[in-house]
Amino acid sequence: MSSKFFPLVHYTPEQGKYELLPFRFEPFSEDEVVITNAVGEFHFLTRNKLNALVDHKLHPNDPEYQHLRARHFLREQNDQAPIDLLALKTRTKLHRLANFTNLHLFVVSLRCDHSCPYCQVSRQSEDKAAFDMTRETADKGLDMVFRSPNPALKIEFQGGESLLNFELIKYIVEAAEKRNETAKRELAFVIATTLSLVTIDILEYCRDHNINLSSSLDGPEDLHNKNRPRPGRDSYAKFVEGLRKARDIVGYDSVSALMTTSPASLGRVKEIIDEYLKHGFGGIFLRHLSPYGFAIKTKSYQSYDVDVWLKFYREGLDYILELNKMGIPFTEHYSSILLTKMLTADNPGFVDLMNPSGAGIAAVVFNYDGDIYASDESRMLHEMGDSSFRLGNLHKNTYEEIFTSDVLLSLLDDSFTSSIPMCSECTFEQWCGADPVFHHAMYGDILGRKPESEFCRRTMGIIKHLLEIMRTDKEAKKIFMRWANKC
Amino acid sequence: MPHTLQLDSSVYLIEAVEKAAYRFIDRIAVVISKADGHISLAITVDDKHAANAEKILADFKKELLDQNLRVKIKAETEPMRNLILAYTFSKTGLQS
Repeated sequence: MSSKFFPLVHYTPEQGKYELLPFRFEPFSEDEVVITNAVGEFHFLTRNKLNALVDHKLHPNDPEYQHLRARHFLREQNDQAPIDLLALKTRTKLHRLANFTNLHLFVVSLRCDHSCPYCQVSRQSEDKAAFDMTRETADKGLDMVFRSPNPALKIEFQGGESLLNFELIKYIVEAAEKRNETAKRELAFVIATTLSLVTIDILEYCRDHNINLSSSLDGPEDLHNKNRPRPGRDSYAKFVEGLRKARDIVGYDSVSALMTTSPASLGRVKEIIDEYLKHGFGGIFLRHLSPYGFAIKTKSYQSYDVDVWLKFYREGLDYILELNKMGIPFTEHYSSILLTKMLTADNPGFVDLMNPSGAGIAAVVFNYDGDIYASDESRMLHEMGDSSFRLGNLHKNTYEEIFTSDVLLSLLDDSFTSSIPMCSECTFEQWCGADPVFHHAMYGDILGRKPESEFCRRTMGIIKHLLEIMRTDKEAKKIFMRWANKC
Repeated sequence: MPHTLQLDSSVYLIEAVEKAAYRFIDRIAVVISKADGHISLAITVDDKHAANAEKILADFKKELLDQNLRVKIKAETEPMRNLILAYTFSKTGLQS
């Protein structure tokens, strides 16, 4: 009796009859390459298998064949699913673009009670009221905020020390809430502050208006106070006291902290991480210095290079993985952003790692004097005398003039990674970003030569380290999967 | 005195040679010319890398092969890239 079914061989693909889907490769070791597909999914492959794949000689029974088919590196004739899935994942990765600007930074004062040598915003001394934003300027800023089509709007108050102009913060919060009664956006507020000036009244106000606090903790007391001098040399004590009060009044998870790697931080990464654990934080953002403001003037930025910082980062990440393996959940946030891009179809929308650049279209800055900048780094450059990325002024320009200005459009158009030499064929392009302001500040043009770019070397260094960990340590890869798939 | 390298232009693509030279721009300066079925390269290693010249030149030759392969993959998958992007935005109303 004949079978009602075709024999199994009927379903076996014919050798060599597959089609390559777009992918890129980069040597990873002597005999191995890492390959990424059109949406940044990756796989390791030996050189021999890579050549067999490209020459259409990879046998359907080869274990790699199914991996490569499942991850959209090749498709058999008439396979439609890979095209559907790649299109869906591409749309998912780009979905934030159509929403336009989410983050609006109001520099409410450039005054500050600290005098940090690595300050990147060129703060002014505390008593110069000329560096405060006025209500009139704030109103114009809010006009811009509510012109954004984004259903979610975040307003972040920046300084200097933003709490030195808390009366204006209150004014902006209440005016935004009033406007939002009809605008109906998902409205969020953040105050960037050292916590040195928080009072019970301020914190109760934050609680009542759902305002989060973003603060700074550089490490143990001696390091924090060295990095962040203020009269009384009590920055750390003020932070700890402010943190305790803020958690009590506003809520435990309402306060986050950022660290900056100063020259004095090098060699102390474990102590810095322990300090974050001691204060109950669930993670740390190991941040390098940026080439702006006092970080350049005081030569803090020039005091360590990319290789030195990468060593610091790797030591820190290794320690964090050890902690996780011991059952202490703790995240390195910058790695987490990259891993989200490497391991999921989501794009976290982190401005430094966006393509097209997030300047203006993900975040925009309203300076205390009404000037509008494409990013926080752009206003930092302005304070150093370079106004290349000033988009206009709240009192002089309309929304249309600002967001269709030649400055912004050129910045975005010219910095697409897909049209930058070396980025355009880079295996890691899907995970990386343009960062035109950094390249302008360092190299005098928004592209820079990538082989010489610190941004490129640093990002590549981190990515290769993350890949190596995932290639050799299954337990660490599971931890990374958790970081990348946070709810 | 620059190092010279002659490549058979039926094997190496000029686009691949240019890309390899660009990737090594932080270590070497390359002058590229093409004649009589050959691509000729005059390579000057930057002074600060002179001690590693041999290693850099060996890595550069490997990079030439990688870039050649990349150009081949890119050419073969170009219609597919265009198809995926066109399909991605086909229902958004954004295309003209």
